[in-house]
Amino acid sequence: MKLKSKLVALAASAVIAMSAPAMAQDWKPDGPLTIQIGFGAGGSTDTMGRVLANVMKENTGWNIVVENKPGGGGVAMFTGLSQRPVDDKTIGMGVSIPVLVQLVQRGDQLPFDIDSFDYLGTVAKAELALVASKDAPFDDLEGLIAYAKEQGTLPVATMAPPQVLMMKQTMSTTGAEFNLVTADGGAEVMKLILGGQVLAGFGSGEHYPYLESGDMKVIAGANQARLSYAPEVKTFVESGINAYVDPVFFLAMKQGTNPAALEAISAAIDAATKAPEFAEIVQNAVKGDPINMGAEGTRQMMVDGLANAKILFAK
Amino acid sequence: MVDLSTILAGFGDAFSLFNLAFVLFGVVLGQFVGAVPGIGPIMAMAIAIPFTFGLDPLPAIAFLVGVNKGGLVGGAVPAVLMNTPGTPDAAATAMDGYPMAKQGKPLKATKMALFSSVTGDTFSDIVLITVSAPLAILALKMGPIEVVALIVFAFSILAGLIGNSLTKGIIAAALGLLAASVGQDPENFTPRLIFGYWDLFDGLALPSVAIGMLAISEILHRLSEAHGNMRPAIVAKDTGNPDDRRVTWAEYWSCRYTMLRGATIGTILGALPGIGSTAAAFMSYAMTKASSKDPGSFGKGNIQGIAASESANSAVVGANLIPLLTLGIPGSVGAALIISAFMIHGMQPGPLLFENQGRLVYGLFGAMIMANFINLWVGQLGLRLWVKVVSAPESIIFSSALLLCFVGVSMATSGLFGVAIMLIFAVIGYLMASFGYSLVIFIIAFFLGPRFEKSIAQSLALTNGDLTQVLKSPVAVALLVLSVVSVVWFLRKNAQEDAE
Repeated sequence: MKLKSKLVALAASAVIAMSAPAMAQDWKPDGPLTIQIGFGAGGSTDTMGRVLANVMKENTGWNIVVENKPGGGGVAMFTGLSQRPVDDKTIGMGVSIPVLVQLVQRGDQLPFDIDSFDYLGTVAKAELALVASKDAPFDDLEGLIAYAKEQGTLPVATMAPPQVLMMKQTMSTTGAEFNLVTADGGAEVMKLILGGQVLAGFGSGEHYPYLESGDMKVIAGANQARLSYAPEVKTFVESGINAYVDPVFFLAMKQGTNPAALEAISAAIDAATKAPEFAEIVQNAVKGDPINMGAEGTRQMMVDGLANAKILFAK
Repeated sequence: MVDLSTILAGFGDAFSLFNLAFVLFGVVLGQFVGAVPGIGPIMAMAIAIPFTFGLDPLPAIAFLVGVNKGGLVGGAVPAVLMNTPGTPDAAATAMDGYPMAKQGKPLKATKMALFSSVTGDTFSDIVLITVSAPLAILALKMGPIEVVALIVFAFSILAGLIGNSLTKGIIAAALGLLAASVGQDPENFTPRLIFGYWDLFDGLALPSVAIGMLAISEILHRLSEAHGNMRPAIVAKDTGNPDDRRVTWAEYWSCRYTMLRGATIGTILGALPGIGSTAAAFMSYAMTKASSKDPGSFGKGNIQGIAASESANSAVVGANLIPLLTLGIPGSVGAALIISAFMIHGMQPGPLLFENQGRLVYGLFGAMIMANFINLWVGQLGLRLWVKVVSAPESIIFSSALLLCFVGVSMATSGLFGVAIMLIFAVIGYLMASFGYSLVIFIIAFFLGPRFEKSIAQSLALTNGDLTQVLKSPVAVALLVLSVVSVVWFLRKNAQEDAE
């Protein structure tokens, strides 16, 4: 590049930088935006991401492409995002807990940390519950623990490391024994419960139809707060087990993205999360309302989440 | 139970011109993408879902079902005509389909694939519509221990496909299992054999491995044989005999038991989540070959081989909806996409679906029946076109196929990483095939490996490692005994064939 054009570029970027706040509502992507989803097609992140993209497209007129980049619960996608040049057009969508768990467990092997990204906002929170068949001879966590002690051991299905740790925490706190069976996602947990192979298991939404039909009951909430759809049920923490997980669906871009782009995209996400058609899909996927913590709130959620994950994994 | 008026109202909703148009569109799209190597119906569905947002639930889901069903019929086309299966479940179809095409009967082979595919599909749809609820409850009783036994049984049936060298067959299976163990382990979630590539964390992508091994390696093989000649991709020498261009009723009828067996295997495996259509196709093929009076004719263009494979892999699709609709459990990626479409349109598959949305479910069944008929009709027209297409010179057909495989895999795996994996497996596949190792055994082992490992881990956790617990499951014991019987029987049969 010649000196003259370099100077022009410098001047132009200075002008852009200075006028950025004023330009946020005027900012437009110079090409299609891409939302990379850290999970495969057909899951709840994918479903919500596609509807979100569709609503954003309708609201703003931007062209938005959705891609699936599965691998390691979003780690593959965020790795890719952190390695690519800043282009103001590529957005990553993932779930907080799997990313935080990998950062705690093998952060030294990962090319990114929490500060590698600029956060845009969140769309929903997943509520995690320990559920059992309606015929199970216990109704709450205390009952489950007592029954496990009586039986010697009791089979429980989990689907991800944090849930395994919660159950291990339960074992070490209470002295009860559990056979921990790891299943391939919530649907398989439901299959194991319905088939009678395990007596309890974790569900992040797959259990709703069975609660509605009366085939299953909630034993405990695994989040920090009680479950919105079963407020009478105690959480693990309330039952004396010091462990919880709060998975949040969030969006982020590579750190260093143009602030005007961040502001405009963040605003578009916020508007989309308020649209009724998006609320409907969130209701179907996680049984809750859309939650947008905003850009700063999302960063704080990740920082706090990392601290909590470190406690859970005793690091 | 759903009352008759709901059922009739549902079927009434389905049989409208508007829905017919969407089913037709779906089937045409599905057959097209299925026939193009490298793309496949799953990806077509993933791309199509956002376009159904604006539709009512019934036409939207009918459209997706059309794509899925059309894709199965289409998938057999490149397998038969070019020996380059676009999806792994069509690999079994290629074993007899391609030799038939080479004998100058490409239309007959693809038509038989179409008829047996639609037959298998219709069979499983009827099972789905009539007895899905009790079947789903039976499927629930298949716990991890029973699934381990079932997969052992599936492997034992595949011993019938090993061919001359037992050692090479076992090596191919071991390599497939090794490839399947890439990614996080199912018990402790530690990454294995990923060499720092987080893209491998969830394992090697099936489209990369399957298309690399089955399609690209075959294209490499053809390239190595080309020697600068200009040949059509298939020798479409017209034998002059009109019987070589069609399937006669007598031929179709002679395959009735084969198709019934294939459809039954497909329906049972489809009702159990996670086993899949590839295993069903090969199990059906191996059983048909084993029970045939003339096993030597398989792999050389036996029409029964096509019927066995296609009836089984297509039956899986309808049966996959059994756990999906009754329990909300998807049996395959295609089924997971249909669940996602259900959710987008405000429905939750599961125990209350028939009660709350009975009319819609029966509407879906109506659409499935329509899709089967349309599949038959569109297939009849489309096959002629494909046979014409592949009579173009090899240099054009295979370079186009190669390009489509690159595009398809990069789309299916979202990037060039998947393409690189595909190329690595193309070379591995080429070498394995050149040295007489069965690619088919490799693919099946790769395909069943993760489920097998997970089920073993689950069984060990459930039983605290106590193997005697297996004896408490009569189903598992029966399957394991059958496995031993089948291995012994196949090995003796192989030995006899060698002696002859």
